[in-house]
Amino acid sequence: MNNTFNLHRFTLLLKRQWLEFGKIFLITLLVATGVIVAFYGLTLLPLEELGYVSRRLGFREPLFFIFGFLFISIIASSYFAHLGQKSKAIIDLLIPASTFEKFLAGFFFTSILSVLAFILIFIITDWAFIAYIKSYFKTGNVKELADVEMFFNKNDINSFAPLYLAPFTVTSVFLLGSAYFNRFHYIKTAICVMLFSGAWTYIVMNSVEAILSNKTPINRYSHGKDTMEWVLFAIIALFTLVVFSITYVRLKEKEV
Amino acid sequence: MEFRDNKAIYLQIAEYVCEHILLEKWQADQKIPSVREMAVNLEVNPNTVMRTYELLQNKNIINNKRGIGFFVADNAITHVKSYRKAQFMEDDLPTVFRNIYLLNIDFEELQTRYNTFVKENF
Amino acid sequence: MIKIENLNFSYSKQRILFKDISMQLSNGHIYGLLGKNGAGKSTLLKNLAGLVYAQSGKIDVFGFDPAKRQPAMLQQICFIPEEFHLPAIKIDSYVKANAAFYPHFDHQYFADLLKEFDIPVGQKLIDMSYGQKKKVIIAFGLATNAKLVIMDEPTNGLDIPSKAQFRKIMASALTEDKCIIISTHQVRDLDNLIDTVIMLDENKIALKATVEEVTEKLCFKRVKELDETVIYAEPSLAGYNAVMANYHQEDSKLDMELLFNAVLTEKNKLKPIFN
Repeated sequence: MNNTFNLHRFTLLLKRQWLEFGKIFLITLLVATGVIVAFYGLTLLPLEELGYVSRRLGFREPLFFIFGFLFISIIASSYFAHLGQKSKAIIDLLIPASTFEKFLAGFFFTSILSVLAFILIFIITDWAFIAYIKSYFKTGNVKELADVEMFFNKNDINSFAPLYLAPFTVTSVFLLGSAYFNRFHYIKTAICVMLFSGAWTYIVMNSVEAILSNKTPINRYSHGKDTMEWVLFAIIALFTLVVFSITYVRLKEKEV
Repeated sequence: MEFRDNKAIYLQIAEYVCEHILLEKWQADQKIPSVREMAVNLEVNPNTVMRTYELLQNKNIINNKRGIGFFVADNAITHVKSYRKAQFMEDDLPTVFRNIYLLNIDFEELQTRYNTFVKENF
Repeated sequence: MIKIENLNFSYSKQRILFKDISMQLSNGHIYGLLGKNGAGKSTLLKNLAGLVYAQSGKIDVFGFDPAKRQPAMLQQICFIPEEFHLPAIKIDSYVKANAAFYPHFDHQYFADLLKEFDIPVGQKLIDMSYGQKKKVIIAFGLATNAKLVIMDEPTNGLDIPSKAQFRKIMASALTEDKCIIISTHQVRDLDNLIDTVIMLDENKIALKATVEEVTEKLCFKRVKELDETVIYAEPSLAGYNAVMANYHQEDSKLDMELLFNAVLTEKNKLKPIFN
C-alpha cells in the first residue's frame, strides 16, 4: 500500500472533510455573497444618472481585493482550527489517510476552492448588477460601463505578476496559523502577519536606504515587466512554498 | 449469573456447567455453548471460559470435537460427581471438621441428623 | 504484537510520565490499564496510537512505527477517546464518510452492534446524549475490525444496562488476532472482562500480569484477623479483605481494586513475589 498518496483515499478524504468543513465553507460563502450584494445595492441604488453610476463603480477594486482577502483568510484560518481541540483532533488524526493527503485536502479547500468560489460569486454579482443597470438606462451610452470581463482584463497578468500569487500566499499563511495555534487562530495569525511584515518593511527600507543612498537611479522610466517584478514574484513564490512546507511539518508533528 | 467473591471466576463457571450437567439440562453427547457464547452470556473474558473448558476436559466432563465444539462427555455425571467430591473434600470439609472439633459434636448425633436430612430432602 | 522498548516520555521537565518503560502486548487478550489520576494511562494509549511523540524509546505496533501515522497502520487502530466530538450529521452519513477508509469494515456487524446498544439508526448524532454517542463510536470502532482496540474509560457515561451490553459486546469482540487495551477507573465494571492487568505508578509499570499469574501468586480472601502472611488488607464488615501470598495454592477470585491498592501501598512486599 502506498502510505503517502493514493488517489482513492484522497477522494474519500475530500468527501469526508466536506461533510464537516463544507458547512463552515457554505455559510461563510453565503455571508460573503450577502455582503457583496449589499455593497453593490447600497452604493449604486437607487439608479439616478448613468455618469454617476459609472464613476461610482470604482469601488469594485477595493471591494474585490479587501473582501477577497478577508474571505480566503477566514476560510483558511478555520480549516485546521479544530485540531486545537483534543476531542476533535484525536478522531481526525487517526483517520487512515496520510498526513500528506490531509495537508493536500487543506490546500484544496482553502487555496483552490475558496479562491475560485469567491471569484465566482464576485463575477455573478457584478454581472447581475451591470446587466440590471444596462437594462435600466436603455437610452444612455451603456458601452462606457465596464462589465466584469473588462474588470478582470484591466487587472491582468501584464499589470503586476506577483498579484497572482497573493491568494496562495494569504491562504498559506492563514492555513499555517490554523494548524499552529490552538485557539484564536485568526487574531493570532493576523497579529503575527502585522509584526512580521512590519519588521520586514523596516529591514527592507533601511537596507535600501543603506545600499542606494547617494546613487542615481537609471532606467527609471522603463515600462512593462522588468526583472525586479520577476524577482519579487520568485521571492513571494518561495515564501509561499516555505510556509506551506512548515504547515505540512506542523501537521505531521501535531500532538494531542 | 451472579459471581460470588470468594472463588476464582473460572471455577465458578465450571460449577455452573457441572450444575447444568447434574440437573441434566445438558445431556451426554449434547453440544454445550461455545466459548464465545458462554463468555457473552456471562459477560466474562473468553480466555477465562477457555480455562474452564480446559479444566473440564481434563476432568473428562466435556470433550472437544475439533472444528465442531464442546460436547458433554459420556460418563459426565460420574466425573462431575467425583470432581465435586474431590472439591468438597478439599475446600469445605476442613471447615466442617474444624467446627466439629471446636464444638465437640458427637459423630452419632451427626449420623442421625444426616439421615433425617436425607429423608426430608431427597 | 505490540512492543514498547525503553520508552521515555514527559510533557515538560517538571512533568515526567514514563521513565524507561518496556513491555509487550500480544493478540487475543483484553488488557486492563490501571493507574491513579495523572499516572499516564491516557498518555500511554496515545503513544501506542501515535498521537503523541516520546522523547526516546521504540514503539512497534504490528511492525509499524505509530509516530509515522501511516494509513496502513491507522486502519488497524480503533481508538475510543474519553472525550470526543462527532459532527452534526446522521449516523449513516457518518458511516458513509468514514467506513470506506477501513478495508475490513463490517456494515452488518455495525448494524448489529447499534441494535444491541438500542441506538436508532436514523438519528442525528447531535441530538444524542454523551452515552449514546459513545455507544456509536464504540460500535463504529469495533466494526472497523481493527486489530488494535484502544479504549480510554469506555464505561464512563454508560448507564447500567449499557454497561452490561458493553461487557457482552467486548466478550464477543475478542478474537485471536485482536489486542484490546482498556484503561479504566471503574474496575468493577470490567474486572471479569480483563485477562491481564497493567498498572502504572511512579513513571513505571508497577505490575503487568495475567489474572491467572496474579491468583497463582496471591490469594484474595476475607480474614478475621491480620497475621504476617497478609500483605495488604482493608477493613470490611466481617473482618478484613486481605491480599496474601498464596502458600496453599488457593484459587481465589482476583479483587482488582484490592490488588490496585495493594500495589500502590505495598510495592516492596509485592516486588519479590512477582519477580
